[in-house]
This record gives sequence, structure tokens and C-alpha cells, in this order.
Amino acid sequence: MIQNTKCECGHQNPVNTVLCESCGKPLIEDQSMETLEMRYDGAVRRSQRENKTIIDRVWSFFSSVKVAIYLIFFTLCGASLGTIYPQESTFINIDPSTYYPETYGTMGSIYYMLGLSHTYETWWFKLLLIMIGTSLVICSLDRVLPLYRALNKQKIRKHDQFIRRQKVVYTGDIKEIQNEKDAELWVNEFSGILKKKFYRVTTDGRSLLAEKNRFSRWGPYINHIGLIIFLLAVLLRLIVSPWYMEEYISVLDGEIEQIPGTNYYVENERFIVEFYSEDELSEKTVEKGKIIPKLFATEAVLYECVKNCNDPIKDPVLEEVKKHSIQVNEPLEYEGLLIYQMGYEETPILNSVNATLKNRESNEEYGQFILEMDNPKSTYEVGDYQLELIGYYPDFTFINGEAGTKSSKPNTPAFIFSIHGPGMPDKGEINMYFPLPQHKVTYQEDQINIAAGSTLVIDVESMQDVDFSLYTSFLSARKDTILPMIWIGLSISMIGLILGFYWNHRRIWLKFNKNQLLLGAHSNKNWFGLRKEVAQALHKSGIEVEAKSLENEVKDS
Amino acid sequence: MSLEQISNTALIAAFFIYIIAFFMFVISITGKKWSNRDPEAHMKRWSRFAFGVTVLGIASQIIYFITRWIYSGHIPNANMFEFMTLLSMMIIVGFIIIYIIYRSAGTGVFALPVAFIVQAYAMVFPWEAEPLIPALQDNWLKIHVTTAALGEAFFAVGFATGLMYLIRTVNFSGTSKKERRSIKGVEFTIFVILVVVGFIGSVFLFNGMDYHAEFSKDVIVPAEESELELEQVTTENVEYTLPPIVKPYNSEIVSMDSYFGIQKPLFEAPFWMQGVNAGRKLNTVVWAFIIGTLLYYTLRLILRKPIGASIQPILNDLDPDDLDEISYRSIALGFPIFTLGALIFAMIWAHIAWERFWGWDPKEVWALIVWLFYSVYLHLRLSRGWQGSKSSWLSVIGFLIVMFTLVGVNLVIAGLHSYAGV
Amino acid sequence: MKNNKKWVQYIILILFVVIAGVTLFSGVLSTDEVPEVGNFAPDFSLKGLDGQVYQLSDFEGKPVVVNFWGSFCEPCVREMPAIEDIYNKYQSKDLIILGVNLDEPEVTVQSFVNQVGVTFPILLDKNIVSDQYDVRYYPTTYFIDANGIIMEKKIGEMSESYLIQTVNKLIAVKE
Repeated sequence: MIQNTKCECGHQNPVNTVLCESCGKPLIEDQSMETLEMRYDGAVRRSQRENKTIIDRVWSFFSSVKVAIYLIFFTLCGASLGTIYPQESTFINIDPSTYYPETYGTMGSIYYMLGLSHTYETWWFKLLLIMIGTSLVICSLDRVLPLYRALNKQKIRKHDQFIRRQKVVYTGDIKEIQNEKDAELWVNEFSGILKKKFYRVTTDGRSLLAEKNRFSRWGPYINHIGLIIFLLAVLLRLIVSPWYMEEYISVLDGEIEQIPGTNYYVENERFIVEFYSEDELSEKTVEKGKIIPKLFATEAVLYECVKNCNDPIKDPVLEEVKKHSIQVNEPLEYEGLLIYQMGYEETPILNSVNATLKNRESNEEYGQFILEMDNPKSTYEVGDYQLELIGYYPDFTFINGEAGTKSSKPNTPAFIFSIHGPGMPDKGEINMYFPLPQHKVTYQEDQINIAAGSTLVIDVESMQDVDFSLYTSFLSARKDTILPMIWIGLSISMIGLILGFYWNHRRIWLKFNKNQLLLGAHSNKNWFGLRKEVAQALHKSGIEVEAKSLENEVKDS
Repeated sequence: MSLEQISNTALIAAFFIYIIAFFMFVISITGKKWSNRDPEAHMKRWSRFAFGVTVLGIASQIIYFITRWIYSGHIPNANMFEFMTLLSMMIIVGFIIIYIIYRSAGTGVFALPVAFIVQAYAMVFPWEAEPLIPALQDNWLKIHVTTAALGEAFFAVGFATGLMYLIRTVNFSGTSKKERRSIKGVEFTIFVILVVVGFIGSVFLFNGMDYHAEFSKDVIVPAEESELELEQVTTENVEYTLPPIVKPYNSEIVSMDSYFGIQKPLFEAPFWMQGVNAGRKLNTVVWAFIIGTLLYYTLRLILRKPIGASIQPILNDLDPDDLDEISYRSIALGFPIFTLGALIFAMIWAHIAWERFWGWDPKEVWALIVWLFYSVYLHLRLSRGWQGSKSSWLSVIGFLIVMFTLVGVNLVIAGLHSYAGV
Repeated sequence: MKNNKKWVQYIILILFVVIAGVTLFSGVLSTDEVPEVGNFAPDFSLKGLDGQVYQLSDFEGKPVVVNFWGSFCEPCVREMPAIEDIYNKYQSKDLIILGVNLDEPEVTVQSFVNQVGVTFPILLDKNIVSDQYDVRYYPTTYFIDANGIIMEKKIGEMSESYLIQTVNKLIAVKE
């Protein structure tokens, strides 16, 4: 069917245009008096054009708001499914295939099998987000261009029907107006009133067009641009792996650890925890015996490796780059690398002892030496004696009747020395040493040494000679290069929302047919405010009208 | 009087002032037909009065807020009691803004009850102020929570007016399928509100009676969570403050006061409710439903018609289009605020405190769901012309999702926000 | 002008298809660089307990067995004599065995080696090579043929018979 697209005002419109681009006359003759569909000012959208190819079809699919709404709705439902049980990502060390069935029973295994235990990483969830992104771009492009063109070339004199079929309408005869001159004067006066209300007014003889806050129409599109930037940033973060890094590190008090995959090392110089005192807490909490931490912080030093990095043979050469007390809300920041305080655990573990060598009988002291648990030296000079470390079991136990170690953590450290010096046998006197008192008893240190004929004792004098690490600090290191783009996207989106929601685009058309005044007004939202404004303006030019009565009586179906 | 007492008194005062203001708004509308009165003047005078009283109420609530801030040393929005009180305060702020724009006394008839029911709900939780854990010691606590609450408060006002629109327009004598469905929907919404009231009522009732029961239950700590990396069994105790209709699954009675002559719990929680608190929560829900249902049917017996139908005459003079517009307007006002507070500020703070701006924590996900839902609402309304009852239904459902996000997520799902203390 | 717009449409749609493809299949495409059977064994150099530096590429042309172990790991301790036995038997056939220790104190390693009587080279690693070889369970043993290709990867304790069979296969591979 060939549609006549030429309007009676002489303007040639694209096919499927709803309202003439020039005079606003409805092009689809339906004789009805319903209020007009004013979206995009009746201009034709790209996707509504005829002669569809496959590309056009895909395009029009994504340009449909209905499709967009469905996409948002499905995303919303999908996202909620992921909150039924905790996601896999909330655990650091579990096997999901057994965890979910064991913890949640049959429901748990179904949940796991459907892949809902990692909902937000599933292909369908990602696909939904990408489709929303596509829809955002295409919907916006499809609408913003025609709207821009329509708003940019508005004709002042509109067709009667266009004005009469607006949602806010006033028609009335003004008796004082006798001729065209009077009407023009009236229009000029009215334009002055509207200008005071911050309208931009243009007149054309007896016709008038007043407009304000057109920028508000761009709000939704600005918001969409922001969202697109945000989504792109998230996407880039996923794809370009060097731009994003996350690592978890646990560092003992006083220890230094490398951040995996980087040349950075963090030292936990000192870990501090403070708890609220009883009088700072409520009675109930005290009764329950709860202890609430007030503060925990890692006094951290960040080092960068400058030489021998990741060399398995040589020790790395480190250079201090930053010192910072890391707290929950105060991460360490260095050249885009952020180190956060995640938590801590009380893990008392022995670092070193300052041991004393004594005579078993006379208690005479020969000297002291520092014995480290992490990587002890193999010989020590104490007074006239030479201590050769011939065995070290960080986590001592018996494996099949032989001395062994359960782990490489110094939980039950045990040392075997061969001591040379005055009065010692040639091949050395064997001495077994447990630094921690409780282990001396369990493993009968004295009895073993006496049985071996040892005349010397290794011991610590006081607790001051024992160095413990009390806490392990859990830190997390992040690098997120794309972050500024995310904040920019969100800011743009927010600006768009504010423009779109807190201002509204208002237009008033007015014309005289002899002494009959025809006024129509349109707003993209907040009709209440528009009616009030029009009523006030009319009141100032001597027409009394109830704001409510300006509402076009003809309702949309 | 200590600062704490002043604060608590001011809050209770605010609560009752809102109830008074609510009745005054009702009078301003219904009283129009009273004999020998000029309807217009009556409405103007009474609604001005009612509005004044509301302002008085919020002044009192602000006194609570400031004094509590002073004596506890941190902004009062850190636990459930404080947050819900803040929300109720924000609902009043939202209502005041909407009232100033539209001068519609009718809005008060529904917005005020929403505010004081939320306030009463807050009062169910422990009132004591606790010092902040390190994660909360940050300025973003003030900014994020307050803006999010304000956004949600506008959604609450949108809900109140949306529900008003529905009650105003539903044809309660209608018999067509569509009309019957609308009646059922409205009645169901009212029922849900009564269940919430039932919950609050039951907690206050049995707390007043100082009811106590205690159960113990063996809990298996999975190997992953125990220090020894072995499965362990520990015994945990739960305290009930509501009489146990349902006891936790596989639990023993430690102590139990009898109620209505009942000595033992009537039921046991189903086996899939594993957690030690799951039984207690289920018991609370059961009580809420029992009292809610009782309230609903008592009201229906007294009124002898659907509750919505009895409220409708009060609203008859209100213009449905205005209600529709107000509902939409408050959601449109709230949407950017909600986006800023519950999503953008949340992301900024999460970036600072939790080393990532987004982590799919249940609370985050539900905030996103709320946002997506209201963007569906806005698109349907602005692009597809959903107005009137369709749009009002969405505003009602939307607020239910908001409440689930605020309350349900803490009750049912835990996650990182669980320090809010339910 | 009409044509112009069509191009814009094409470009946008293609862009989205590409983005979708990359995102959805990025998980499939990005294989973590974990040495698998059939891959070239990544080169490394480590200090031995004897003070010498050992580099994997030095043994090019010879079959190499790399055993990751720790004295705290019982199965590692149990299989050690079997490995030592194989080492002694196959030394004449140019078989190289390297025992990579998992970050234990030197003294501990030395005392263990003395205790068991290990004679093949024991290398000291600071979790760098074990990360490179993705060792998560102990013991893990890699069998690398004369061409430097991983022929077999064994997680867990090995019996002597398993060792003999696998080493025989390994030796059979010629350059």
C-alpha cells in the first residue's frame, strides 16, 4: 500500500510518520479526538521504516522498549535466583560439588546442577546483560536522533487538530479581540508572561510557541550513555586480564609475603587489634559475652622487588615504596595497587627464641643464641661451644616410630643439635631441644637427653626471650585499571537521571482563529505542574480557569 | 533525665503524634460532609492542622535522632532498630515534600500509617545502641544509608498513593473476572499489611508478658568451617520470646513457659530448616500469620464487607488521576535518589571497605533488583503508557520488593550486611 | 546518506556480536598456563641442597623425572626409598631424577635426606617452581621425555612397580 505522506501544509514526511513533521497535523486520519501520541513528537523511528531486511529485523527487535522491559525483567528474576543460597565465590576453599548437597540436601544439589551456585558467571546471565547493553544502544539511537531533529525544527504555527488534541487544552472566545492587531497584541502580552516563567517564546503573528527545559528530554539518553559506559567498563575488566587483578594474602605478624603475580611484597610489621571495653557496650551484649572489635590494623610496608625477582636461586632485592596502616576503610594505595584489610585470625605461632646454653649440673651459663623457626642456620657459636643443627622438625611427630614432621608450620618445633667444644666427645654430644615448655613435657626432652648422656641444657630464661606472632592478617590486593571509567559511567548516568527526573520539558502552543483562542500544552511528565503553570499564566492575562479543568476531557483508551 | 531517656521518649512521642496526625487527616477528608460546615474550609483547616501535627512529629523524631547520635557517638542508622526508624523518618520527609507540591490531604491518610507501621516494626528490635564495628566506621555510613533510605521512602509514598488509587477505583461490587481479581488483590495487600501488624503485635504482646522458652539443638559444623578441618558437632541454644508453636528441627526443650495451657511445642520445623535460628524465625512467621489472619477476619466480621470496600468511601472525594500522578511523581523523585544512595554510593563504599565495588552480595543483588523493577515501572509508564491501575499495582509490588530487600534479606538470606542484627 | 546509516547499523550489530562472543567464550579460550601432558615442560633453575645450580634445560636429550615432595607429607616420605632405588638402577641409562622440595627449612631437608639416604639431587624451591607446575597436592611427579615433553603427570604416591613401568616407557622415547 502506498501511503500518502505529503501533508496538506505541503511538507513531505517519511513513511509511517504519525504527526506531520512541520505543522503537527495527525497524518493517520482516524477522525477521533483522542489525545495525541506525542512520543518523539510523532517522528518516525528508524526501526519503524518499511522494507525490512534481516539486519533491520534484528535492529527493530533490539529497538523495542517492550523487548528491553522483558530483558530487564528476566535479568531481575535471574539475579534473584542467585541469592537463594550463598554463591561459590563467597567461599575461599570449598568443593562446590559436595558442599551444596551436604549443606542444603537435595535442593542444594539441584541448585548446584543448574549452575545457580555461580549464577552471575553463567552464560545466560552474561548474555542477558549484553543484550540489555545492545538494547540500550539501539533503543537510544533509534529515538534520540528523530527526537533531536523534531525538536530542532519546530514550526510555530501548528494545525488546529494538533493543538486541540493535546493533553492540556484551553479554548475560549475573547470578546475584546476585534481584529488581527488585537490578537497580535494579546499574544505579545502573553509571551511576556511566559518569559517571566523562564519560557523561551517565539511568536509568528497570532501564533505562539513557548518552550522550556528542553535539555530534560536528553536526560534518559544521557543516563543510557552512562550505563553503556559502565557496562563496557565491566566488560573490559573481564576481557583485558592485565587490567584487573585480585589476590588474597595472609601475612603473619612480623612476616613478609609476596603478592602473587606481582613484584610487590607486603610486610606486616605489627598487627593491632583493639576491643570495645565493657562499659562501651550495651548490657545485653556484655551478658551474651560478645566481644566486638573496635579497630584492627596492619602496620604494613610495601616493597617492590628491584633485582632477582622471581629467581628461585637468589633472594630478591627489595626496596621500600610505601608505609601505611591498613584498616578496613583505609586501604594502602600505591600506583593503582590497593591493599585492603579483610580480616584477621588469632594464630599464635613461634617465630624465634633467644636460647641459653647451660651446664646441666651447675647451671653455669655459656652464652645465648637466636634460633629462628622459619629457616634456622646450620651452625651456632655459643661461648666456646659450636652447635651444629643436624635435625629440625617444625611440626614434630613420630611417623612409623621415626621422627618426622606433620607440616612445615612451626607448631611443635623440635631441634637436634650436635654440640662440639670443651669436654664434648669427638663426634659431638647429641642434644634434642623443644623450645615450647608443653612439648618438653609431652616428648620427655630431659629423659631423652639424659639417656643420650648429655651434659648441657638449652633453654630460654624468660618469656621475653620468646618471639611469637599472635595474629595472621588477611589482606587482599587489587588492581583495577578500569575503575575511573566505571565512576565516569555512573556519574554520567546520575546526571542523566537528575536532568530527566527533576526537570520537565514543557511546551505551549497558542493560536487565534478570529477571536477564538486555541491553547495546547505538552510536558514529558508532571502534568499537574504544567496545568498549574498554564492556569496561572492565563489568570495573569485575565482568563480565570481552574487548573484541573485544563485537562483534555477525552481520555486515552 | 539522661540523653538516652530523652531520645527514647522523643521517639515514642513522635510515634503517637503521627497516629494523631493520621486521624486528623482522616477527619479532614471525611468531616467534609458533617452538617453545617463549609466543606472547602473544613478540609483546608483540618489538613493544615494535620500537617502541622505531622511536622511536630518529625521535629520530635529529629530530637530522637540528634540526641541518639550524641550519646551513642555515631549516626543512628547502624542496626535494624535505627535503620527502620530512619526509614520511617524519611517516609515522613517524603510525604512532607509531596504534600508541599500537591497539597493533597488524602496522601496523609495512607502515607502516615506506612510511616508509623515501619516505626512500630523498628521498635520490635533491640533498642540499645551498639558501638560500630570497624567496617562501619566511615563517613559513607552516613551518606549511603541515609540517601538509600530517602529513596526507599519515596517508593513508600508511591506505594501508599498507589494503594489509595486502587482502593479508590476498584469496583467492589463488580463481578467480572477482572474486577474480582482486583478486589482479591487489594484485599491481599491489606492482609499482608495486617500480617506485619500481627508480627509487631505478637512481639509486643509476649514481650509484655515476659514470655521465655529455650531449645537446644545439635549443629553440625562442616569440615570447611571448623578449625580442625573435621566435621564437628556442637550444641547451640535458641531463645524464643514468642510461645513456640514450632520448635527447631531436631531440638530439645531446655525450658518453656506454658501458654494457653499448652506445655509442649505443637510442631517441629521441617528437616530442611537446618540453622539453629531457622525454627525461631519460622515460629515468628507463624505467629505473624495467625494474628494477622485473626485481625483480618475480625475486621471483616465487624465491617461485614471487604476491608477495601469500607475504606473506599473515605477516598471517594479524591481524584484518582491525582493519586495516580502523585504515586508516579514520588517514584520518579525517589528513583534518582535510590540510584545514588543504594547503588552508586554503595559501590563507592564497597570499593573502599570491601575491596570491590560490586560482589553480588545478596543485599547488593536485591538493591539491584529493586532498581531494575522500578526501571521497568518507569519504562512501562513512560514508553508504553501504563497508567492508572496497572501502574499502581506495580508501585505496590515494588514496595513489597523494597521491604523484602530491607527485611527479608536479613531474615532469610544473610550475607555481608548481616550485622544489621536481625 | 541512507547507505551511511546502514553501515552504522552493521557496525553496531557486529560489534555486539563480537562482544558477546568474547565475553561468553573468554572462559573457554583463556587456558591457564598449566603444564599438561603433551606440553613442553617449562624450564626452571633451582639451587640444590649440595649448593650447585640445576637447570632443567641442562638435561636436554635425557629423560627427567621431577618429583615435588615435602618431609611433612607422608606419602612423599613413603615413596622416597622407591625413587632412590630407581635412581640407582637407571643411572646408567641416563635417567635424571630431581626432587623438588616444597619450601622447607634447609636443615629439615638435609636431616631428612640424611635419615632416608637420598642420593639424587634435591632442589630447594620457594614455591616458585611448584606454582609454575601447578602443584596443589603432594606428591606430584612429572615424567619428562628426552624431547622435553611431559609424558606423564602423576598426582599421589607411586609404587615401585608403577615407577619401573613409567620409567621404562620414558626411556623408550628417543630424541
